[in-house]
Amino acid sequence: MKRALTIALCLLVVMVLATGGTQAAKTRLVLQTHWSDFQLEGVVDENGKLVSKGLRQYVEEYMKLKPDVEIELQSVPMEEYLQKILVSRSAGVSPDIYIIRSLWGVQLEDSGIIESPPPALIEDVKKNYVPAAVEGATINGKIMGIPVEVGNYCLVYNKAHLAEKGYKAPPNTWDEMVDMASKLTVRDKTGAITRYGFSFLAGWDSAVVHPFLGLLWDMGGEYLSPDYKKSLLNSPEGIKALEAELELFRTGGTDISGSVWEFPQQKVSMIIMASWYENSLKQGLGADYEKVVGVAPIPKVNKNINAMYTFFATVDSGSRHKKEAWDFLAWFTAEETANKTTRLGDLMVETIGSVPARKTDLENHPKDLQDLYTKTFIDELKNAKHEPNMAQAAEINTILMQEIVEAWHGSKTAKQALDDATKKINAILAEYY
Amino acid sequence: MSGLPSESSRRRSVQRTVTGYLFLSPAIVFYLIFLIIPVGMSVYISFRKWNMLVPLSSSTFIGLKNYQDLFRDELFLCAVKNTLIWAIGTVFLGMLIALVIALLILNIRWAPFWRFLVFAPVVTPLVAVARIWGSGIYKTSGGMLNSILAMWQLPPQHWLADSRIALFSIMSVAIWASIGSTVIVFTAGLKGIPDEYYQAAKIDGASPWHEFRHVTLPLLRPTILFLSVTGLIGAWQAFDLVFQMGAGGTQSGVSAVKAIILLNVYLYQTAFQNLRMGRATAGAFVLFLIILCFTFVVLRVLREGGVESYE
Repeated sequence: MKRALTIALCLLVVMVLATGGTQAAKTRLVLQTHWSDFQLEGVVDENGKLVSKGLRQYVEEYMKLKPDVEIELQSVPMEEYLQKILVSRSAGVSPDIYIIRSLWGVQLEDSGIIESPPPALIEDVKKNYVPAAVEGATINGKIMGIPVEVGNYCLVYNKAHLAEKGYKAPPNTWDEMVDMASKLTVRDKTGAITRYGFSFLAGWDSAVVHPFLGLLWDMGGEYLSPDYKKSLLNSPEGIKALEAELELFRTGGTDISGSVWEFPQQKVSMIIMASWYENSLKQGLGADYEKVVGVAPIPKVNKNINAMYTFFATVDSGSRHKKEAWDFLAWFTAEETANKTTRLGDLMVETIGSVPARKTDLENHPKDLQDLYTKTFIDELKNAKHEPNMAQAAEINTILMQEIVEAWHGSKTAKQALDDATKKINAILAEYY
Repeated sequence: MSGLPSESSRRRSVQRTVTGYLFLSPAIVFYLIFLIIPVGMSVYISFRKWNMLVPLSSSTFIGLKNYQDLFRDELFLCAVKNTLIWAIGTVFLGMLIALVIALLILNIRWAPFWRFLVFAPVVTPLVAVARIWGSGIYKTSGGMLNSILAMWQLPPQHWLADSRIALFSIMSVAIWASIGSTVIVFTAGLKGIPDEYYQAAKIDGASPWHEFRHVTLPLLRPTILFLSVTGLIGAWQAFDLVFQMGAGGTQSGVSAVKAIILLNVYLYQTAFQNLRMGRATAGAFVLFLIILCFTFVVLRVLREGGVESYE
C-alpha cells in the first residue's frame, strides 16, 4: 500500500512537472479587442454549425501552426477600452496586442504605450493598404500599426417605408431628406412618434460627431486648422452644417428620443450609419433583410463627402514577446491565403461585415463587398475623409458631441453650441500644440 | 536602592506602551496602506498633470491649475448643481415619503407583507432596475408612463431625453429603489417611542397632528439625523443608477447627458475617459469638502433641540 502510494505520488510529481514544463516553454500572448459575440466566436447556424469563422477560430488555427504560442483573447467593450489599457498598464498586466481606434493613437504614442511595426510590415502597410487607412494608422507622422478596419458612413433606409409613401428612390440632397423624413414620420394620436422618418443617436460620440463632420466637410468647412492649434467648428460652414441637422428636428422628421438601434425593428426609416452594422441588420431583420434595407450615399448639400475612421492592430511597447506578437499579426493581416485574401480580410468581410483596409481584400471579396449593403460603402470610400488623429481626441469628440446634443435639445442655438465647443476645444489644443 | 523600583516601573511602562503599539500595529498598518498613503498620494496627484499612461514620476507639477480648470469647466459646475439637487431630492423627499409609508404600515393590517413589498426594490440589482425603468416604464414610444398619459389625452414625454425632466425621472427611480430601507429604519424608530407619551398626549387632548408634531417627530430626531447623514453621504457619491440610465453615454441613446451628470460620473469620465487623473483627483477633494460641509450642517441643524445620542 505504502509502495503504491509512493509510486502514485512520484507519477503525480512527474505529470505536474511535465505540464508545468510544457507551459513554461510556451509563449503566451494576450490580444485585446473591442470585438465580441459573433465577431469573436464566429457565426453559427440554427444547428450550431459554424458558418463563418470568428477571431477565435483564426487564433486556434495559428496556435496549431505554432504550438509554442498560446494566444488569449480579451474582449473589452468599446466604451471601456481606453480605461482598460490604462488600468492594465498601471497594474503591470498589459496585453501584448491591441486592436485600437486610431483616434486614441496620439495619446498612446505620446505615452510610449504602443510601438511602430517592424520595417517590413511598415513597407507592407504603405504599399498594400488604401491611402485613407494608412493615414488613419499614421500617428505623429509614423505608421503605428496595421490597419484592420476602415469605417465610413452612408444613408441606410427602409425601402418598404419609402415605397409606402410613394418614394421610388432615396433622397439625393439634404433638403430632400429633411422633407422625406417629416413625411415618413408616423405619430400616434397623442403626438408621440411611433416611427421615425430619420433618427440620430445621442450619447455616443461617433454617432453624433461623424454625421456632423460629413456635413461640415460637405459645406466646405473644417474641423481643425492644419496645425491642430485651433478648432474651426464655429465657422459659417460649421453653423450651417449644424443648422441643417436642426432642420430635421424643426420639421418633425426626428426628435431627441430617436435611436439608430431601432432600425432593425423597423421603427426608423432612415439613419446615417457605418458599414459594420450589416450583420446586426441581417440578424435583426431576418428574412425581411433584402426587402427592407437600402443603402445610398449621404444626401449632400454641395458635394458627397463622409467621415471615416480606422482601427489598427499594434503591439504594446512593454510586451515581453514583441517579435511573436508582430509575427502573429503579420500572419493574420498580411499573409495571403489561396484566395489572395488575408485571414483578417476574411474575418472582416465574411463575419464582421466591415470594410477591410487591404487592397487585395477589397479586390478579392467581390461577392461580399458588392452586396446590397457594403457596395455603397466601398463606392463611397472615394468620398471619405478621415477624422483627425489629434491629442485628447476622445475628450474633444465628447465635447463636440455634448454641444451638438445641446443644440438638438434646443438649449443652445447652433452658433452658441459651436462657439462653446470651439472655446473648450481650443483650450485643450493649447495644452498640446 | 530607591532607584530600582522606579527603573523597573519605567521599564514596565515602556513595555506596556510597546505592547500596546504592537497590538495596534495591524490597524495602524491597515490605515496607513488603505487610507493615509492613498489620501497623501491623491493630494500629490491633484497638483500634477498625469494621464496614468505614464509613470507618476513623469507627471508635471502644475500647482493649482487642476482646481482652477475644474471651476472653469461648465460640465463640472453642472455636475455639482445636479448632485446638489439629487442629494436634497433623494434624501429629504425620500425620507418624507418613507416616513408617511412607515406610519401607514404601522397602522394597517398585514404590516409585514407591506413592509416586504416596499423593501423588494432594495434587493433588486440596480442594473435590472435601470433596465426596467429605462427601456420599459420611461420609454417614449409605448412606455408605461406615456401609455398612462395617453389614456388621459396628455402628450407623451421624453422622460430620459428631455433635459428639463431627465434628472427628476432618475431621482424618482432612486427614491423608489432605496425607500424600503428608509421605511425599515423609520419603522424601528417609531416602534421605539414609548406608548406612555402618546397616552399622556391624548389625556392632554392632543390631536393626531399634535401627537405627530410634538411627540413622534422630536423622538424621531436621532433616526432622522442618522438617515440624513448616511443618506447625504451616499447621495453625493451616487454613480451606478445615473450611469446605467444614461450618463454612461456610449450607445445609451440618452441625450440629456449634461442634464443628468453627477459628480462621481464626472470624476469617472475625467479620470478614465479623458485621462485627466490630476483634475479628477482635485474634483474628488472638492467632493470630500462638499460632503464634509453638508454633514456638518445637518449635524448642527439636528442637534439644535437636542439629539443627545449624537452629542
